[in-house]
Amino acid sequence: MIARDMLLAMLPEHLLLLGIVLLVGLQIAGRWQRAALLVALLSVAAAALAALRLSVSGYAAAPFAEQFSVDPATLLAKAMVIALALPVLLMSHGQFEDDPAHPHRAEGEFAILLLSSLYGVCLMQSADSFLTLFLGLEMMSLPVYVLVLLAYRRPQSAEAALKYLVLGGAATAMLLMGASLLYGSTGSLSIATFAAALGSADPMARAAVVLVILSFFLKGAIVPFHAWAPDAYEGASVPVTAFMAVVVKAAVLLAVVRLFGQASVGSPMLELLAVLPLVSIVWGNLAAMRQPGLRRMIAYSSIAHAGYLFLALLGSAAGRLQAVAFYVLAYGLLNLLAFAALPEAAEDRERDRLDALKGLFHRAPFAALMIGIAMLSLAGIPPFPGFIAKFLIFKNVMAAGHTTYAVLGLVGSYLGIYFYLRVIQFMFMSPDASGASAATTRRLALGASLACLAAAAWVAVFPGWVIARL
Amino acid sequence: MSDAVALNLVLFLPLLGAALLGVSPAGRDDLVRRLTLAVMVVQLLLTAWLYARFDSTVAGLQFETRVPWIEGWGVSYQIGLDGYNILLVMLTAFLGPLVTAGAFSAIHKDVKLFYAMVFLIQFAMMGTFLAQDLFLFYVFWETMLIPMFLLIGIWGGERRIYATIKFVLYTAFGSILMLAAVIYLVYSLQTTSGVISFAFADLVQARLPLEVQSWLLAAFALSFAIKVPMVPLHTWLPDAHVEAPTAGSVILAGVLLKMGTYGFMKLGFPLFPDATQLFTPWLMTLAVVSIVYGACLALVQDDIKKIIAYSSISHLGYVMLGLLSLELAGIQGAVIQMVSHGLVAAGLFLMVGMIYERCHTRELAAYGGLARLLPVYSVFFMILTLASVGLPTTSGFTGEFLVLLGAFKAAWPPYRLGTDGLPLALAVVAVSGVVLGALYMLRFALSFLFGATKAPHQPLADLNGREKTILGLIVVAVFALGLFPDEPMRKTELAAKAYRQLVNTPRLPRALP
Repeated sequence: MIARDMLLAMLPEHLLLLGIVLLVGLQIAGRWQRAALLVALLSVAAAALAALRLSVSGYAAAPFAEQFSVDPATLLAKAMVIALALPVLLMSHGQFEDDPAHPHRAEGEFAILLLSSLYGVCLMQSADSFLTLFLGLEMMSLPVYVLVLLAYRRPQSAEAALKYLVLGGAATAMLLMGASLLYGSTGSLSIATFAAALGSADPMARAAVVLVILSFFLKGAIVPFHAWAPDAYEGASVPVTAFMAVVVKAAVLLAVVRLFGQASVGSPMLELLAVLPLVSIVWGNLAAMRQPGLRRMIAYSSIAHAGYLFLALLGSAAGRLQAVAFYVLAYGLLNLLAFAALPEAAEDRERDRLDALKGLFHRAPFAALMIGIAMLSLAGIPPFPGFIAKFLIFKNVMAAGHTTYAVLGLVGSYLGIYFYLRVIQFMFMSPDASGASAATTRRLALGASLACLAAAAWVAVFPGWVIARL
Repeated sequence: MSDAVALNLVLFLPLLGAALLGVSPAGRDDLVRRLTLAVMVVQLLLTAWLYARFDSTVAGLQFETRVPWIEGWGVSYQIGLDGYNILLVMLTAFLGPLVTAGAFSAIHKDVKLFYAMVFLIQFAMMGTFLAQDLFLFYVFWETMLIPMFLLIGIWGGERRIYATIKFVLYTAFGSILMLAAVIYLVYSLQTTSGVISFAFADLVQARLPLEVQSWLLAAFALSFAIKVPMVPLHTWLPDAHVEAPTAGSVILAGVLLKMGTYGFMKLGFPLFPDATQLFTPWLMTLAVVSIVYGACLALVQDDIKKIIAYSSISHLGYVMLGLLSLELAGIQGAVIQMVSHGLVAAGLFLMVGMIYERCHTRELAAYGGLARLLPVYSVFFMILTLASVGLPTTSGFTGEFLVLLGAFKAAWPPYRLGTDGLPLALAVVAVSGVVLGALYMLRFALSFLFGATKAPHQPLADLNGREKTILGLIVVAVFALGLFPDEPMRKTELAAKAYRQLVNTPRLPRALP
């Protein structure tokens, strides 16, 4: 039976691995590179479907005792995060055409790295011990450092990747230090030791908890550990930025929720877990107002959103996963919608400037509407799904008795409205200043944005249906 | 077709219309205009049919639809007509076609997007009035911001970006605190009574300590008072009105401002009656300050749109005064005043838009003696001016008179224990608002219609058939409400009584046995 469980429980991972192997083969063969994207899409879709199918059938197993286990909730989270990578793949088509002799080679490289990173994402969601968690986190992060570099036509990319690498290394070091302190005091590597240590008064346990939390703050870009995010988001190409903002963020947050388990957050960790996310919300929203580039703006906005997500940890254990998963879903879909709808420009830097969006409604009405919807949803204005996601988080935080933090968080979220509206103002209310010809959105990216729109509409109209299943 | 289905249709027709515009062929602006008008007229007819079938002897909701929406949270899609909203729903439906037709000659840029936004705001306004579930109400309440943001920002005047951002940031600030209060309210209801529900009918059962009530009412009141707007939260309104296109101003003055007073009446006061008692002197003072301050400011404006904008602040002060009087006459007067102001201010903004299309200036000093140049226009303008002043036989009189009657009744006898005669003093000052109202509107009409003949562009064409029809309909409604107010008042009477009952009944937590 154990072999069957090993096959079934890790089916999404296996499918991703199969995809990676095929892609590497294609890359070595140097032929049919055009098929790389298709192979990647199929393998990611199959992995997502497999996770979904297993989750629906109520499958639960622990093929590697105390290291790796799956249950329906984990599998659903996995399916969701994997599925969010599909639009990223779609919008990557035609993004890396630098070498005219091998037009699709970079695309294949991108797909391999993305799938490897997804493999790490999946591991993180099932981790039962710090060892697996660490493995997953590293497998997720290492390919992303390289992915940031993939936009090598821009000089900042190297700098951004290096910054990300160094700070990512610091996060890893903190996680390992925290884990070893926990191991030292309990003799176990199980992640359950973390939840148990949350309320402990023992200084060593406390230091361990703080280190682990800070390492995730760094990965999730919480102020004051956020400085890498704007540079990395700006240095990367659009699909990679989308991947970092959506999939990596989702994976980190879902892993944190798993780490917290059933523990409720009390003093003194309460202050750490409330204050820094609140500062992130305020600072992210304020700094985003002043950004001239779209990607930097999205980076600061994602810092603020990380703040909401970490604030969700204050809620009761039962609602935590639901709130975070719903938020990640809504936030991811709408972010991807915006990135996929972003019109093509001759030069990447041109494409990034917010000014380039001026008058977009007259050049590309569909793209402008899509980006507009995404911005309103990210701002948390109803009837878009972002509102319900935010509502769910603050409802849980308030129900757990942290009224002041919830109110402060809501007021902080108010600060964000301005810069999201500014994007809409540029697109709809400013005269066309770019002089760019009628922009064309690429067909695959268009498909990606339509898929995201359909999913977002479903989430907005039937939020109860989605919540009941999370 | 059952009545409930018709009511849902009334709500969703504008959304359907917006979808139709989305798939209509490009470059056919005339088709877009006609299509919008047709959908709006259908909505009006359906609403009128429901209005006629509304049974004024039944208290509570009629034509109700209730479907669970987010089951785990106790949120349902619940809409219905009652005495609170019936007149405002009718007003919204009535203004829809007029706004549409009024913009035919004014809007030539992005026509399709424009009418799509008009549809969306119509949808959101209808939804706000019809919603009987706090979550649903909040969703519609906030949704309204988006089309208005675009209406002012795309088709507005020179400082439109400033005005529209200011409008959104003001209103959104109130809303975000209201959202916190909504969550807290529902959560407290759940912990005290075990019921998790957003339905208004369940929420008014909540028994909260006075301190909690006060905080929650403060949050709700901030949001509603910004929308009304009450002095000192009014500064977004003149900017938004001046920069908005005519259609935007009409929607803003006609319906949007009533959301604030409707919110107070339907939610703010009945949900937190004990805190309301506590806040009443302050809110009443602010209402009277709004009446007088708005009127004084209207007196010194030289932009004709600003005069009407400030007059709105003054007129809505009466609504607040009537609601707070807790006298049947005052409450019913407040409702009539809402509708009356909706009609009159909408008409005046439409007329300003018509003259602006001809002369391209809103400066009062640029005009004079229009009575000779545009006789038909001037007749309509005079009628609406007098209605705004509150001349008997017009709707303005019914509303203001009943509100003042209610205010005086509430203040009598003048030296009740603990009141210090404040209500009486406020009622007396509020009367001066009527005089000031006559002063600023007549000053406006005098220099606008009479005196030396001047106009930036001569010769001027008088009103065409379309414009006459629009204004004619408004004038008929104004007189109908002024001469035969008992039919609409019968429809709202039971709701007014229910409101008074709710606000008058203390609802503090029961003392422990």
